[in-house]
Amino acid sequence: MAKYKNLDPILHSQLRLAVVSILMNVDAADFTYIKEQTEATAGNLSVQISKLKDAGYIEVEKKFKGNYPQTRCLITPLGRERFEAYVNDLKGYISGS
Amino acid sequence: MENRETTLSSEKSLEIISEMINRTKMNIRHGAFHLLFWGWLVALLSLSEYFLDRFTTFEHPWWVWGLTIPGIFVSMIYGYRQGSRQAVQSYTERIYKWIWLAFIVALSTLFVFLGVNEMMHKVGPFILLFAAFAVFLSGIVIKFKPLIFGAICIWVFSVFGIFAGPSIAPLAVPAAVITGYLVPGYMLKNSETKNGKV
Repeated sequence: MAKYKNLDPILHSQLRLAVVSILMNVDAADFTYIKEQTEATAGNLSVQISKLKDAGYIEVEKKFKGNYPQTRCLITPLGRERFEAYVNDLKGYISGS
Repeated sequence: MENRETTLSSEKSLEIISEMINRTKMNIRHGAFHLLFWGWLVALLSLSEYFLDRFTTFEHPWWVWGLTIPGIFVSMIYGYRQGSRQAVQSYTERIYKWIWLAFIVALSTLFVFLGVNEMMHKVGPFILLFAAFAVFLSGIVIKFKPLIFGAICIWVFSVFGIFAGPSIAPLAVPAAVITGYLVPGYMLKNSETKNGKV
């Protein structure tokens, strides 16, 4: 693990990385869609989304679609910037190994 | 998916990124529908105009092009319905949609200023230039080579329509939409059946 100590700890986690990877490719995604794509449990996903939100990497919008509550997530400019930096760091590790 | 922070290797990280990006790639169903719908409509209208002009005494064969107006509404309603059913919209889908909306705006502007009249004979090949532009960019955006080749065919038939004699030039439009819309449209539809996404 020490080998990866310089990688962004917010992104260097399986589920958070999956969530940000999805949001990099779409305008916005609702909670149910992210849950389906990542095959995560609702509880675990909620926790990881909160961590990403607290770090300022994603925005979370809560609104109603018809009569049903909907939680939508979208990536922030900071999240996009950190994701690109993370991918570059990964490439560096792989080419250096 | 669990959240194992301690065992994530760089290879595993790249695998997750790649897998998630693949899952959110563009669903091509909508693109195939519009290509096939417009391919068939324009092919039938242009052939109808050609036969009415050559083999009947009907004075206004270009009137058939008026049917493109309800065609635009059919396309827009289909696009709106599909869009409202989708859970997410990828950036690729957004660019693809805007390319075709820009094409519709350009074409509608042309119709508004020219009207549906005998000028249709002359502007047909120039409309093909616009169409080829939209098909070419769509092919680049969704990385689907048959669309790029289709656009090249449309460009070739456009030049043919401009320079060929009046007896065969009207056939440039149906030839262009068959090779540039219908053939890649069906290939896109078959590709969708096999892969679901591009």
